[in-house]
Amino acid sequence: MAEERTFRFYECFALTTLTGRKAADILDLLDIMKNVSRESIFHHMHQYFLKPHAVEPEFPNDFAVWVSESLGEPLLAEALANVNPFEFAKIEDLRSELMRIIHEYLGNYPPPRPVLPGREFMFNEGITIVLPTSMESGPQLHDFLQKLREVDFSSIYFHFYEARLRLGRPTDDFSEYLSTSLNRPGIAARIKSLDPYMYSTEVLRDKIAALIEEAL
Amino acid sequence: MSLKDYEGIAEPGDLRAIERMASVLSGRKMLHVNSTAAGGGVAELLTRMVPLFKDIGLDVRWEVMQADRPFFEVTKNIHNSLQGRGRPLSREMWEEYARVNRENAERIDLDADFVVIHDPQPAMFIDHKKRGTWIWRCHIDISSPDRAAWHQLKDIVEKFDGSIFSVANFAQSLPIHQFLIQPTIDPLAEKNIHLEDEEVRGIYGRLGVPLDKPVLLQVSRFDPFKDPLGVIEAYKLAKKYHDCRLVLAGGTATDDPEGEKVLAEVEEKAAGDPDIHILLLPPFSDREVNALQRGADIVLQKSTREGFGLVVAEALWKKKPVIAGDAGGIPLQVIEGVTGFLVHSVEGTAYRIRQLLENPERAAKMGEAGREHIRRNFLTTRNIRNYLGIWTALERRDEKVIYI
Repeated sequence: MAEERTFRFYECFALTTLTGRKAADILDLLDIMKNVSRESIFHHMHQYFLKPHAVEPEFPNDFAVWVSESLGEPLLAEALANVNPFEFAKIEDLRSELMRIIHEYLGNYPPPRPVLPGREFMFNEGITIVLPTSMESGPQLHDFLQKLREVDFSSIYFHFYEARLRLGRPTDDFSEYLSTSLNRPGIAARIKSLDPYMYSTEVLRDKIAALIEEAL
Repeated sequence: MSLKDYEGIAEPGDLRAIERMASVLSGRKMLHVNSTAAGGGVAELLTRMVPLFKDIGLDVRWEVMQADRPFFEVTKNIHNSLQGRGRPLSREMWEEYARVNRENAERIDLDADFVVIHDPQPAMFIDHKKRGTWIWRCHIDISSPDRAAWHQLKDIVEKFDGSIFSVANFAQSLPIHQFLIQPTIDPLAEKNIHLEDEEVRGIYGRLGVPLDKPVLLQVSRFDPFKDPLGVIEAYKLAKKYHDCRLVLAGGTATDDPEGEKVLAEVEEKAAGDPDIHILLLPPFSDREVNALQRGADIVLQKSTREGFGLVVAEALWKKKPVIAGDAGGIPLQVIEGVTGFLVHSVEGTAYRIRQLLENPERAAKMGEAGREHIRRNFLTTRNIRNYLGIWTALERRDEKVIYI
């Protein structure tokens, strides 16, 4: 029982692997997107959340950032940025939605010119390495808060973002633990209702910590 | 040198990840092979990393090829060809390459669990693999190679279990696993370690550069791709508005005819201006480079073509805003308007110099952001972590999420 009331923090990091495929314009991007691996689509829609940022990029997915910064097409970039990957249980559905948006754009506007060499979109994939830490919080909420502040930001990714994929439902390890082990359904519900797509992990940590502080 | 020395500097999460993975890999054999023991980026990297691998419990060795001048002439040509500017390689040249590789591979004990072969010079060691996981670490940009040279090398490289590139854009499509590891700097190396102001002033004095007005600095070889002439033009444009000095620090160019020519042009363009200082630093001037970077107000790297450009990371680590060409790995380090500025012309460079000299508070803020960006992404501990990660990933290659 005591064990069930402890929370073990995990940290993680991603190794980027290259597929060797690159797009110099939007038609290339669409063509490769059609049959590139599921891992690659996942990587480009999620890696923002597992990377430290000196400055927040304008948009939280790689496709939108490239279309905005390299192709210079804000309208298409905004449409791609609005795709929330956490709403898609299957990567194939996410892929279809991205392709639908690009097709729709190409139906209304001429394709933008190709990017300069060196500015191509590189299709990559990721391998996630997950590491248990020795950081465990006991059954006290303030203990949990202290550890939450100490762990690497990647721990927030693992327990909040990756958990959605691992558990296969729109929840996260933190709210599950607070609700079931610490019997704090109120804070759990508030954490669970945070929109994961709107925050970087650093900001999200502050948000969760603020909610727990409020409860304390 | 120990991992503990990096506590309080590197990301704690990286240190924990290294300790955890090392506890699993402890006692296992790692082997690095390259072609030079000193001089050059790879030797510098290995000098710093190998003791750390040892410190975390790996049975690590670093072996260096033994070869003579003809071999290095061939590999220099291979190196240039892979970057699209070599001469055709004859059959005899490839035979020389194969011979030296074979002799070295027979001489060196290749028994290890994880073998890292650095760059093309020892790539044919792969034909002598007995066991373990072998990876080819390519430190150069091979995105636009001479086709014949790449065709030949590709046949060799494909035999490895995996490869590592520094920037996604530098790679070629290969049928083996291709990983991305960005190069890193060592905050505890002579080139980056903290220096007191007094020492910085002393080194400036010794090099004959007064610290009486703002200093613009470019540290680079006298190479057309580093555009030192463009740097002088930008300095002259900016100087109309702000009194400042320009320091161009590079290596001596006695064995490089092209470098000598560029240096002569630079000297001619700088003639008559006592505020331009051309410094020819001897090899192993790491402490001097460190001091020059620390004493500068703005660091320039106006490259038109670049590898990863780690000199940018070195300057950012010292809290200097960097104005740099939008080339190679520079955009990964210079985040536009945050850690510095990316420029595409002499005029753009001059404009950004003026902006920063006019607004030292903004320059200082960029310097702070630059140091944090490097601390979080480009320190040697990140490299160690990634090597251990790749080793693990190649041993468990069916897994996309690996629990240690």
